[in-house]
Amino acid sequence: MSEANLEQNQHVKPISFLGKALLTGFIGGVLWSCIGGIAAYFNFTSVSPASFILRSWLQTEWSDGILGQVISILAIGLLSILIALFYYGVMRKVEGIWPSALFGVALWFIVYYLLQPMFPNVPQMTDLDSNTVITTICLFILYGVFIGYSIAYEYKDLVKAEDESNEA
Amino acid sequence: MNKEKTKEKQPISPKIQDVEKYMKNNVGVGTSFDLGFRKLTILKKVTHTYYLTGMVETPIIVELMKKLVEINDYESNTVKIPEIIENRLVHQQVKRVKTMDEAVDEMLSGLIVIFLDGEDEAFVIDVRSYPGRSPQEPDTEKVVRGARDGYTENIIQNTALTRRRIRDERLRHEIFKVGERSKTDICISYLQDVADEGLINVIKKELENIEIDGISMADKTIEEFLVKQGFNPFPLVRYTERPDVSASHLLEGHVLIMVDTSPSMIITPTTFFHHVQHAEEYRQSPAVGTFIRWIRFFGIFASIFLLPLWLLMVMDPSLLPENLQFIGPNETGNIPVVIQIILADIGIEFLRMAAIHTPTPLSTAMGLIAAVLIGQIAIDVGLFSPEVILYISIAAIGSFATPSYELSIANKMTRVALLIVTSIFGVAGFTIGITVYTLLLASIRSLNTPYLWPFLPFNGKAMMQILFRISVPLTKDRPSIVHPNNNYRQP
Repeated sequence: MSEANLEQNQHVKPISFLGKALLTGFIGGVLWSCIGGIAAYFNFTSVSPASFILRSWLQTEWSDGILGQVISILAIGLLSILIALFYYGVMRKVEGIWPSALFGVALWFIVYYLLQPMFPNVPQMTDLDSNTVITTICLFILYGVFIGYSIAYEYKDLVKAEDESNEA
Repeated sequence: MNKEKTKEKQPISPKIQDVEKYMKNNVGVGTSFDLGFRKLTILKKVTHTYYLTGMVETPIIVELMKKLVEINDYESNTVKIPEIIENRLVHQQVKRVKTMDEAVDEMLSGLIVIFLDGEDEAFVIDVRSYPGRSPQEPDTEKVVRGARDGYTENIIQNTALTRRRIRDERLRHEIFKVGERSKTDICISYLQDVADEGLINVIKKELENIEIDGISMADKTIEEFLVKQGFNPFPLVRYTERPDVSASHLLEGHVLIMVDTSPSMIITPTTFFHHVQHAEEYRQSPAVGTFIRWIRFFGIFASIFLLPLWLLMVMDPSLLPENLQFIGPNETGNIPVVIQIILADIGIEFLRMAAIHTPTPLSTAMGLIAAVLIGQIAIDVGLFSPEVILYISIAAIGSFATPSYELSIANKMTRVALLIVTSIFGVAGFTIGITVYTLLLASIRSLNTPYLWPFLPFNGKAMMQILFRISVPLTKDRPSIVHPNNNYRQP
């Protein structure tokens, strides 16, 4: 085996900050909508990822099954990249966990109140039962923290590293 | 400590009678039976040798004495006596001290001190031999294959065990003394060109600022000074008794703190996920290691969330999905389920606590009583329903599968808290409870390190390292959380 083919000699390219932010967005979307799916499975919430993405315009049988959920979860992952991009652009300098938790709450409000007319399958905010409201708010808070805190931390780390290399 | 520093240190008096008086009045030679001294006359000059009986190696002292007495037979130059004596102290670790305080400290550490009449210096010779055990495999971190040595209570042996694995010239072992009375040795170890200087400075500063008379609980006391634990039950540093584990952490850029009289090394900085890994994973092939790790994660997860989730399903069977309808007790017991769970949990806690200080032969019998008698009869009597026993057992085994003992207990406390809020508030209690738990964990910082890293804040590459046990040749970068000066592992 030649030198370059050895496992230990293969280099991994470092990912840029923006790339990391986008990855965080995708993973965050997939992860927390997965958990949303599980919560819907246990009837904690009456809306599942599929009720947003697929069921609003597709009333076939499979769209409520596991396949529909998986497709919706991946779609939310892609949409979540946009949200991460927004956070990266606007709020990356905001430090700490609590602002990003507020970001999650705001996002929940946008999705369930402002964007609700877009999803005919999702009941109006005032018609949701309390379990659904609480569970989804909690999920959005965790999602917001996941996206926001990760991006802000990465940014802080980057600034610190730059400061240090400037000093040296 | 400051008071001590400002106090004038007493220089060694050239009059040997003064030294003898000081030793008698201030140190208690003659009162304490473990302190002793021997007078020798060398070329008409009186010398005193002070020692601590329990911690010195007698054959070496006898050899040194022989050489000293031989001076009388071979030498006659009385002018150069100190030089002649120093020359005849046939030992590699001889040094001169100028103050009584230093001399007494060294003597109480197990070195011998030789005072000469008419000199304001004394010789200190390291003839220490501490009572202690030899390296053994640590009970809490056993592996099927691989090194069986473990750290001991002796800091010198411990540095040697580390050095055996890292012969790097850049490995630093810096020693400090902490404790006004105990004067315990503390050593911080790091790779000079890798570890984060910021972290090293923080640790040094914290250690230097410790003001306490003694640290009998060694590492634990130091940890409490270092990380400001408060009432947070989660372990903020990782302990290890395995030299291979600590060597691999040193290579990753972590800073280790070893405290004399304790076999547990403190690894800093630590995150939650350091507590869910185990050396055994790295002794197996990557696939097997990953498998073990996932099963373990599942166990840890179950130990926290399974019981509250089940309780929720019992309280409100309408939450159960269609194909899980069989879950939940068939008949309502005599006691509310949440009380049953908490009682059973307390029962297991009794067992665990009792097992720690029960001698092994008795603990077998105890396990039998607990498992067969209490479990079965509690069901027969109608105290517990069988399902409670099942889920409690899964959660308990999950706790035992947690590699870090400290973390398993913290998780247990979390579980009880979640159970209580779930039983009061139902679904809302459960979801809010989990959210608050996650946010609280995420907001913990141990030595400026976010506790849930690399999950929250998310770091893809590092998370892969946690989820999968990646083969060593492919692990090229040091984890970014330690802020290594040198990121690349293969120089």
